[in-house]
Amino acid sequence: MGPYIVRRLTQAVFTVGGVLLITFLLFRVVAGDIAAAHLGPRATAQQRAEWMQKYGYDKPLIVNLNEPRAFWDAQLVHYFSRTLTFQNRSLITNDMLIQTVIERAPYSLAITVPAMALGWALAMVISTIVAYYRASLIDHVGVFLAVLGMCVPYLAFIIGGQWLMFQIKPTMAYGLANPLNIFVPVGIAVIAGLGYSVRFYRTVILDEANRDYVRTARAKGVPLPGVMFKHILRNCMLPILTNLILAIPFLIMGSLLLETFFGVPGLGDLLLSSINNRDEPIVSGLTFLTALIYVLGNLATDVSYALFDPRVQLS
Amino acid sequence: MSVLEATHQIEETTIRPGRSLGQDAVRRLARDPMAVGCFAIIVLYAVIAVLAGFWWPDFQTSINYELRNQPPSWAHWFGTDVFGRDVFAKTMLGAKVSMTVGFMANAIAVPLGLMLGVLAGYYGKRIDDLVVWFYNTLASIPGIILLIAIKFAFQNVVLFRDTAFAIDLTGIHGLYVALGIMSWIGTCRLVRAETLKIKNLDYVTAARAAGAGHLRIMFRHIVPNLMHLAIINFTIGFVGAISAEVILSFLGLGVDVGTPSWGTMINAARMDLVVGRWWEVIAACGAMFLIVLALNIFGDRLRDALDPQLRI
Repeated sequence: MGPYIVRRLTQAVFTVGGVLLITFLLFRVVAGDIAAAHLGPRATAQQRAEWMQKYGYDKPLIVNLNEPRAFWDAQLVHYFSRTLTFQNRSLITNDMLIQTVIERAPYSLAITVPAMALGWALAMVISTIVAYYRASLIDHVGVFLAVLGMCVPYLAFIIGGQWLMFQIKPTMAYGLANPLNIFVPVGIAVIAGLGYSVRFYRTVILDEANRDYVRTARAKGVPLPGVMFKHILRNCMLPILTNLILAIPFLIMGSLLLETFFGVPGLGDLLLSSINNRDEPIVSGLTFLTALIYVLGNLATDVSYALFDPRVQLS
Repeated sequence: MSVLEATHQIEETTIRPGRSLGQDAVRRLARDPMAVGCFAIIVLYAVIAVLAGFWWPDFQTSINYELRNQPPSWAHWFGTDVFGRDVFAKTMLGAKVSMTVGFMANAIAVPLGLMLGVLAGYYGKRIDDLVVWFYNTLASIPGIILLIAIKFAFQNVVLFRDTAFAIDLTGIHGLYVALGIMSWIGTCRLVRAETLKIKNLDYVTAARAAGAGHLRIMFRHIVPNLMHLAIINFTIGFVGAISAEVILSFLGLGVDVGTPSWGTMINAARMDLVVGRWWEVIAACGAMFLIVLALNIFGDRLRDALDPQLRI
């Protein structure tokens, strides 16, 4: 088990390095003229040069050839060290990113944690019922509705939900004046994700239900509910939990669109407003942060599999 | 009748010319009314995408303030927008954007994934490590955030500036590239895994023994056996590309300002529902719903027909 965990750890380090490299390429090499976006099109060449110098955009990209003794004094090194130590500062407010994240993360979590928990529970119940009555009317109707739900655009759920709330109780349709308002976006997120989850969980459950050990259990006379709960559902938990863990970065980012629609000052709202303001350090820092959380979540899953599931160790 | 004659007769009646796997899949799909119906919807959208630009060439300038915000009528089936333009035409032009983005993104992503997957699976070792590292890295940035980041970086970037082939990545061309860059991963994973299996099969060993080179083995012997994966991923990737285009255009990071697209329609009309103007939002969402539904169902049936064991 030791070598496996060590191998997974080195892999994770390389992945994080790769994410840094990709974001550097995107935001520093590919990205267009950022000074022009901040100073406006009528800025003089001198103003631009000063601005670029102030924020370090005038340094050479990868190696500083002008200074042999300080060849590392280039954007690449500064970018890496700044991002890895979470020292990104906003170009507009000069606030430290990590501070802003700590302030705003609770709002994002307030939407996504209940949404994930409720969505998971609801999808689990519905997909178990649908799978239990497989090939009957309940199953067909359930799958049909799930597919329909999957195909309705996410934006339609949000706009429709907000409109509906506006008809019922206008004060709850926007903002957080009343803390209970948070449950409107939560409800929308649950309903919007339900179609996909039900279909996915149903497939997982039926996959498991077709295995030999289930047939043996039924042959020896275990009643159907017993097979379902004691045998099938327990073994389904592995793929379902993996699927849940892969959704963790979205937990942190909140629901990008929901936050803007419902005036929730979370991280998704921060990302979108930073994009509109061309606030490069914030956008790159947030991108790196979500990737980092994803990599760590994945690592934790794999390591805990290795600890708890004896079959994983050799692969 | 002699025994010999009888066997001849049996052979004549039972032995039919063989069908290829592809022909078999087409036959199976053609027998399935649901698959045929969905395919017809997809073809309809494709035809609309090709013709809409010719049918409504002057849509953007057809502003008529006397007709602004008219509800649906016989003259304007889906009503008119805030500039008095026909929402039906706008929706059809939106289909053009969505179908083009879906097609172009997959035209970049699927060959890329196929190529890298076969290379990684076939050569293994360092090349495999590199490709796997590359897609693991890309996959660790959540899709929509990576897309937003790429489009953010592409703002005001022009490829091949000052040449005849200048490509402005700010608008729709940037969408093709951004979606192409990030949606090859699924194809690559499947193709790599399949190549790892295929490359040890006897027929590949036989080809190698017969003196076939690496490239010949890869592209004449392995890739044709992976084409079903490419076709399935092309269909399934379409849904993702269309949804991503709508969300990005809605956020103002997609098509150029003023280009009619379902995302910009929803953005323009997001506050309209409250004041009772429902037709523009419903038209955009409905059009998107129908094509996504058709693609999802057709993709499923296609997958079942081509590769019953595969699950994506």
